[in-house]
Amino acid sequence: MIKAFKGFFRRFFNKLFKKKKQVKLGLYGPPNGGKTTLANKICVDWLGEEMGAVSNIAHETREIQVKEQILIKSGNKQIGFNLVDTPGIATKIDYEDFVKAGMKEKEAKTRAKEATKGVIDAIKWLDDMDTVIVVLDSTKDPYSQVNITIIGNLEARKIPVLVVANKIDMKKSDLKKVQAAFPQYKVIGISAKYGKNIEAFYEALFDLLG
Amino acid sequence: MHGDASDAILKGCTNCGGKLFFFVKKEHIERAQQRTFDLTKKDKEQIEKDVYDIIGSEIDTDLPVVLDIESINILKPGKYELDLVNLFKRKHPLIYKLDEGKYVVDLIESFKKLSNKKD
Repeated sequence: MIKAFKGFFRRFFNKLFKKKKQVKLGLYGPPNGGKTTLANKICVDWLGEEMGAVSNIAHETREIQVKEQILIKSGNKQIGFNLVDTPGIATKIDYEDFVKAGMKEKEAKTRAKEATKGVIDAIKWLDDMDTVIVVLDSTKDPYSQVNITIIGNLEARKIPVLVVANKIDMKKSDLKKVQAAFPQYKVIGISAKYGKNIEAFYEALFDLLG
Repeated sequence: MHGDASDAILKGCTNCGGKLFFFVKKEHIERAQQRTFDLTKKDKEQIEKDVYDIIGSEIDTDLPVVLDIESINILKPGKYELDLVNLFKRKHPLIYKLDEGKYVVDLIESFKKLSNKKD
């Protein structure tokens, strides 16, 4: 509890005195929600280079990745942050899922082990985040244990949150369902892959960080 | 399976010499026994190696280590179940020194203690 308050006051005073410390902006969410695709979109838009590899097979990002000093602008305003891309958080990691996706058994088992370590690392890093973007796949049920646990823990730590409902370009996408699941948060529907509605996302980011 | 305060925890398993132990609550002993029978020797060795790879950077592999499986449950090599609620409660495993050069890592208890200390 004290930790959550400490974090809250640290963020409050940093904001109050406009301390020039770089804000840590974390991307959290279940595997294959599009965290790295969004990280790449942000990095390409504002730095001109990508952040990490993406894949259709879950748990492609298995290590924390940090891109420092990203500066985004809107009119006369600008904000800077360090972007932290994290491995997908899951309750079950099974190498057989990777084998079904075409991987060899040994490679799949190593991926499962690294993905498990990735979940632990992502959770360890959470207390260091100043603001978090929760990236969800809008084609999937938002009421999952992973989503609820992540958002519940962010709330308990008083870390400001923006929920991104990704993949709105897909037929099965249901933005309203995601919005209904998390009514206490601003939920922005985007397609990180195609850049759809990305301007609204940057606006929301400005509101959150500014 | 070794009982509470067994010498094996300090000296290593008397059968296989293994130094990695999983803590199992009394009510789960039967289920755990069933599970260990299902695993081959190769599976057990692989699981032990994987555990050290996952948490090993903070732990000396030559020393006995006790892990609580309520946060990370390894069913077989490559098959993991993670209890997120428990994982979110804690930060780093705390290592208890039992004797000169002998240590125990108790994830659940250590994190409870860490969090109580802070609150």
